[in-house]
Amino acid sequence: MSVEVRNITKKFGRYPALHGVSLKVASGELVALLGPSGSGKTTLLRIIAGLEFPDTAEGRVLYFGEDVTDMPAYKRRAGFAFQHYALFRHLDVFENIAFGLRVRSRWSRPREAEIRERVGKLLQLIQLESLAKRFPSQLSGGQRQRVALARALATEPRVLLLDEPFGALDAKVRKELRHWLRQLHEEIHITTLFVTHDQEEALEVADRVAILREGHIEQIGTPEEIYDHPATPFVYDFLGNVNLFAGHAREGAVIIGGTKFPAPGMAGGSETPAAAFVRPHDIHVTREPGGAATFAARVKHSHAAGALAHLELERLDNGEPFTVQLSKEQFRQLRPRPGERVYVELRNVRVFPEGDPT
Amino acid sequence: MEAVVTAKTARRRSPTAEPPLVRWLLITGALLFLSLFLVVPLLAVFAQAFAKGPGYYFKTLADPLTVSAIKLTFITAGIAVPMNCVFGLAAAWAITKFDFPGKNVLTTLIDLPFSVSPVISGMVYVLVFGAQGWFGPWLIEHDIRIIFAVPGLVLATTFVTFPFVARELIPLMQAQGCVDEEAARVLGAGGWQTFWRVTLPNIKWGLLYGVILCNARAMGEFGAVSVVSGHIGGQTNTIPLHVQFLYDSYNQAGAFAVASVLTFLALVTIALKAWIERKETRLKL
Repeated sequence: MSVEVRNITKKFGRYPALHGVSLKVASGELVALLGPSGSGKTTLLRIIAGLEFPDTAEGRVLYFGEDVTDMPAYKRRAGFAFQHYALFRHLDVFENIAFGLRVRSRWSRPREAEIRERVGKLLQLIQLESLAKRFPSQLSGGQRQRVALARALATEPRVLLLDEPFGALDAKVRKELRHWLRQLHEEIHITTLFVTHDQEEALEVADRVAILREGHIEQIGTPEEIYDHPATPFVYDFLGNVNLFAGHAREGAVIIGGTKFPAPGMAGGSETPAAAFVRPHDIHVTREPGGAATFAARVKHSHAAGALAHLELERLDNGEPFTVQLSKEQFRQLRPRPGERVYVELRNVRVFPEGDPT
Repeated sequence: MEAVVTAKTARRRSPTAEPPLVRWLLITGALLFLSLFLVVPLLAVFAQAFAKGPGYYFKTLADPLTVSAIKLTFITAGIAVPMNCVFGLAAAWAITKFDFPGKNVLTTLIDLPFSVSPVISGMVYVLVFGAQGWFGPWLIEHDIRIIFAVPGLVLATTFVTFPFVARELIPLMQAQGCVDEEAARVLGAGGWQTFWRVTLPNIKWGLLYGVILCNARAMGEFGAVSVVSGHIGGQTNTIPLHVQFLYDSYNQAGAFAVASVLTFLALVTIALKAWIERKETRLKL
């Protein structure tokens, strides 16, 4: 394990930020800490960096097996990129990147020629060789973030920690930098943790995603696992792109709109109100009731721009809206028009008993 | 055609501008006020100083009592200002970068010298260190002179000018936050390195500004210094005290000659201040 945290609890005044969080990150892994604001993800990252400390003695932070909990930040050899970059405004790009090398003690500091060579290589890596003499105020947001990353990498850190690395950038630059980060990680293979509130970003870039909620880890797994098998209603809801149906669960099945759908995991004998989650591409739409179990719905709106077509439907019994995703081929066969009645079959229904916090 | 249009738009008043008459009245009023209360007295100082001719002016300045007063002023400011520079920096650093109980009390204490009359500040030192004061007997026994001597002048001046540097730095450092320091720490910089390489460069213009204001007040301070000085000519008279001494001995031209030195120092201060302000704004852009 290259980074491990055990039982981290942290309070700010009376407001709890983290309680009992444990996490293991393998060497060379790229892990995203995903969660809404206030979920404690940034606090966890800052504790790993040594900018905050856990409240209790049980809370430990380990780098490659070495306990660094009581080590001050400047001795940990971690690389940290701040959300708003925190570049030194009185130093140019070159000196910003060289900072971590220049502050070393005399006997471990590289020679001037070596510093020049190393910074030069990093400038090449971030594709900003021509801007070495510029000051941070003369750079764009994307350029500043890349300088901040190069500065963090210059000291050859044991782990790289990124706090909302693309949070302050516009959508296009965000996408570009995301790909760039993934590529960079493939090249240098440094253990990396990054904080984000953007699920798309986390699922696209990370090897594994940890979803945080109110100070604890709700689920951790590969993007595929997280997306296909969300462990809790919260994860379902937070990842988005899902339909929520109100229904009743009984004996391994869920009743929605008067129709029974299989729902593994709901074994209880008595009937309980339940929330059923279904992805838009797991819904099959037909014109006739047909053989399979279906319920009736009305077409509200359809749009077919892009590779897939989307239908906005609403349940006939209670008016609950939901979205269906289907291929262009299916869409052409169905030819749905607003106001028409269709029949809906649900597949891969995931049911959670009501009262489970969402 | 285009030029005509631009000319027309240019002549149109902006929505926040006042009518010409109002503007003219306000500007004239401000100018009259300024000349009456600032420019005329300033000219008067130099006019009075040279009232008995340049010969007398330079004779007064070369007088051993005057030279001693100027020297003493520079010594007092030379000790008080660096001390307050360090204290102010330390206080601002503690208040803005850390959270600790009693922070509000400290902030209020820093402002105390501003709210207390300088005369009282001087009195306090007399009560503590004077012959009849708490430490008086002990000090006399060990032959240490504080009141009616240079140490007293330095103490009183330091007290009165204490808030200048801290007051200047606290809002600046509060606005800057601690992110730069955190970045430096993670990059491997220790406490001193973080201070010298990151914190100080970030606040250097604000610090210089505070030091200049502090220095101006230190050299011009009268009330507190007057109480602890004892007015021993050639020994414990600073420039402001010497001006009063000359004035009280009906030597008006001499008093103004020495006052002109202080005025000149004030003008230099203002020039420095303006230069720093320009630097500061340019840096922010």
